[in-house]
Amino acid sequence: MSTSPDSASTIYDLGYRRYEGPRLGRRGAIGAIVGAGLRATLGLGRGGRSKIIPWGTLVLGLLPAGVAVAIRVLVGDIVELYSYENYVWGIGALLPIFIAAQAPELVVNDLRHRVLPLYFSRPIGRADYVAAKLAALSLAVLGLTLLPVLVLFAGRVLAAEDLLGALGDEIGALPAIFGSGLIHAFVLASLGLAICSLAGRRAYAAGAVLAVFLIGGVISGTLQEVGGGLESIAPFTNPLAILDGTRQWLFGGGVAESPVTGAGVALPIYGLATAVLLGASLATLAVRYRGVST
Amino acid sequence: MPLISTRALTKRYPGVTALDALSVELEPGIIGLVGANGAGKSTLIKILLGLLPPTDGQATVLDLDSQTQGPAIRQLVGYMPEHESLPPDVSATEFVAHMGRVSGLPAGAARERTADVLRHVGLYEERYRPIGGYSTGMKQRVKLAQALVHDPRLLFLDEPTNGLDPAGRDEMLALIERIGREFGIAVIVASHLLGEIERVATWLVAIDAGRLLRTAPLATFTERTGQLLVELEEPADELARRLAARGIEATADGRVVIVDLATGETVTETGVYDAVLAEVVALDLALVRLEARRHQLEDLFRGEADVHVA
Repeated sequence: MSTSPDSASTIYDLGYRRYEGPRLGRRGAIGAIVGAGLRATLGLGRGGRSKIIPWGTLVLGLLPAGVAVAIRVLVGDIVELYSYENYVWGIGALLPIFIAAQAPELVVNDLRHRVLPLYFSRPIGRADYVAAKLAALSLAVLGLTLLPVLVLFAGRVLAAEDLLGALGDEIGALPAIFGSGLIHAFVLASLGLAICSLAGRRAYAAGAVLAVFLIGGVISGTLQEVGGGLESIAPFTNPLAILDGTRQWLFGGGVAESPVTGAGVALPIYGLATAVLLGASLATLAVRYRGVST
Repeated sequence: MPLISTRALTKRYPGVTALDALSVELEPGIIGLVGANGAGKSTLIKILLGLLPPTDGQATVLDLDSQTQGPAIRQLVGYMPEHESLPPDVSATEFVAHMGRVSGLPAGAARERTADVLRHVGLYEERYRPIGGYSTGMKQRVKLAQALVHDPRLLFLDEPTNGLDPAGRDEMLALIERIGREFGIAVIVASHLLGEIERVATWLVAIDAGRLLRTAPLATFTERTGQLLVELEEPADELARRLAARGIEATADGRVVIVDLATGETVTETGVYDAVLAEVVALDLALVRLEARRHQLEDLFRGEADVHVA
């Protein structure tokens, strides 16, 4: 590092430069993992093919809300806007697809290629690493469980003749919108990451996530059809139904198509089931990552 | 402030003692940590990084306590593990910059230092390609770069030449030497290959079965032993007998006689040389080699009694 301004060696100097700037420590490290995780989940900085599923599902998730709002604004009151509670259930099929495709990006390669010791030799702990990955996936999933519903909310308010009046009518729904969106995103991200952390390859991880949701959904549907008391356990084989029941318990508002409707189970049970699902997912993550050697 | 200080550091696993009351004080430099596989080298590094709690004893790194200030230590040290540890689907640039940020660098600094560090380790155009396609030598360089990206005060390298061909080893050792001498970063190189450590280290810590064998400047490991080695073309028993008759301690081993230079009051060192030459001439022996014997690093692990005297 030459300090003389006229020296050509300033340009050609290949000497080692020390770093005297700030070190952001654990917070900086966690922030970096969340940021990189979010980018990976959305396929940013990767080839076009990596963007198809995340952006495709996000667009598909937004489309119904966007179109409905657009018609409402441009044409007028000819369509009924979706209710907030219906919306996430309606686009529910997109959630397993998004998680199956994107959650493996976050955890599988670090485990498979033994990258974790490189993380653990930095100013973070194991729990920080898992929490950061979980935050990244949860934030990405909010693009499906919260963003479209907020679009719907904005549409309802903005399309009204009496803006303030509409805002006053709708604003009470915001806690439910945020609460439901956050719970869905966090629980599904935890479940998805837990499943992926057990898989040896990304493809297996994706398959396992899809299997859990698809098989769960099919069993749930079958139990509902068969009836004879079995409909009361039907919601509990499907993570999305468990979450819908929890949403109803906390914020109210039924969804006709959900197996929760007609199951006749006390709503707090769904809250309990969600807690069990979340607890099992986090416990799986904790055990899985405790077993990783440094 | 010592770079590293351990006091009675002990790590016991069920049935195995990985580290046994290890006490050592180290100053900055290139420090070779030698020992056979399983001697406790990796265990020691993990304790120093604050990743593994010791069963007993204490360790400080850069004056930080390894048990309570692990994250602070890990912000200032770099670690290159022994095994492969790179994701195949990202480029070296992307990966090293990311690890720089995880070490606490702001984004801009991480990018700049990644470019610098990859150049220093000798990765050029290929740094934009996915790591999966790299040779072992290139991967080792990426592993080294990720340990250097945040400008650590101290670098832990665990068997850095593992899997490299002879040319790759030479390059890696030269790089380690540059890091220690030019970059001014303290380096701890763990290795079971004495010959390699010998080439770069200024200080040596030898451990065996978790116990400290010796910690000393490299030079003292290879200093003269006070013995003279005499190699002949023919069996050496007669020469040894004649020297013994003159009161000089000498043991024959095939065609080699080991002669003690400091036999006692009666014969001086020069006297010993003179006696050896006189007897060789008298017996009309063909002399192959006559040299002051030096310690070999390998002696440490052959259990030779005199090497343990620090």
